[in-house]
Amino acid sequence: MSIDEGAAEAAATRTADPFALDALQLDALREVGNIGAGTAAASLSQMTGQPVAMGVPRVCIVPIEEVPTVVGGEERTVVAVYLQVVGDAPGHIVFIMEAGSAHDVCDVLLGGMPAGETGPQGFSEMELSALQEIGNIMTGSYLRALSDLTGLHLEPTPPALGVDMAAALLSAIVAEVAQSTDLALLIETEFAEGDHPSLGCFAFIPEPRSLEVVLRGLGLVA
Amino acid sequence: MTRAAPAGATRTADPVRTRSSIKIGLGQMAASADPDDVLSALGLGSCIGLVMVDPAARVAGMVHVMLPESEGVAQPTPEGKYADLAVPALLAALRRLGADPGRLVCKMAGGAQMFARGSGAGILNIGARNAIAVRAAVQSAGLTLRVAQTGGSVGRTMEVYVGTGLTTVRTVGGTTQEI
Repeated sequence: MSIDEGAAEAAATRTADPFALDALQLDALREVGNIGAGTAAASLSQMTGQPVAMGVPRVCIVPIEEVPTVVGGEERTVVAVYLQVVGDAPGHIVFIMEAGSAHDVCDVLLGGMPAGETGPQGFSEMELSALQEIGNIMTGSYLRALSDLTGLHLEPTPPALGVDMAAALLSAIVAEVAQSTDLALLIETEFAEGDHPSLGCFAFIPEPRSLEVVLRGLGLVA
Repeated sequence: MTRAAPAGATRTADPVRTRSSIKIGLGQMAASADPDDVLSALGLGSCIGLVMVDPAARVAGMVHVMLPESEGVAQPTPEGKYADLAVPALLAALRRLGADPGRLVCKMAGGAQMFARGSGAGILNIGARNAIAVRAAVQSAGLTLRVAQTGGSVGRTMEVYVGTGLTTVRTVGGTTQEI
């Protein structure tokens, strides 16, 4: 549905355009991203024993096909862990790390344990499962924070992982989301750690119908 | 109530042009008769890059297909997004530049399963469906697919040089290969 059609329909009925959000509601979603990512950063920091800093979450509404451009990376090699959010407010979560940062984090986590044979882009099976677990734990923390804030029941599906060009991984996620919506609301937070000013980023794309559910949970929809 | 973002206004199907290299983003399409142009789709994952070249007329086009079907979609735009609309649209754009459909060489790449690892692996497998849909749409447009480098779990960057028709595919950690 186009934004114009959505607006027209909203005038006629009460099924409002899910993307017609006011400044207060957008701020609330940014704050959700902030608290969720803060909790996720704390759990990453606990795993690595090093402080993890995070940027101010970015909230934007863009045509779905522009999401890879907004998140960026193009042909840069990254590790992406993708999970679907199921429960009261379905959505999509992806945690992306630069390949170099991911190797460094694995070194810390695995404590120089012999990693065994290397696979795609020099990652061993052990490293890949460690990265999958990082994505899993961070997403779990993010969703728990969101659940606590809203009283909603939210759960992640088992993580899927890919190591490849950022655009190739992101566009595969986008194709999935695009089957149900033309627009996406993206809540994105960047992480940094010591030597890695851009360690990675965490992006949450709620399904359009979940926006109202989340906002109602926050007491921001009448 | 204020609109959160000028969502309608940012919608664009226009590829980004820098010098002679034209980036074809998701759902975008371009056709060119400028021999200096290079059309490229960076990081095709589950998407399909479809290239059509008329070597005699020295025109080439590329579309970056994202989904197999436009059926059931209220406003299927941009048309390059859907396999069933993208193929006739690219063909029409090339004909306008003087391409002869009988001479068109069609090549496609992409359609991968990018999340093939992890305990949740196997989801997001729209790549295979995209490849099937593009193949079918090419066929029903009366064209033949010369090369298809699809599937697997690897991202691909596809480029076509309009002047020569040279079409290449590049993967992460791999070499650039002519297809």
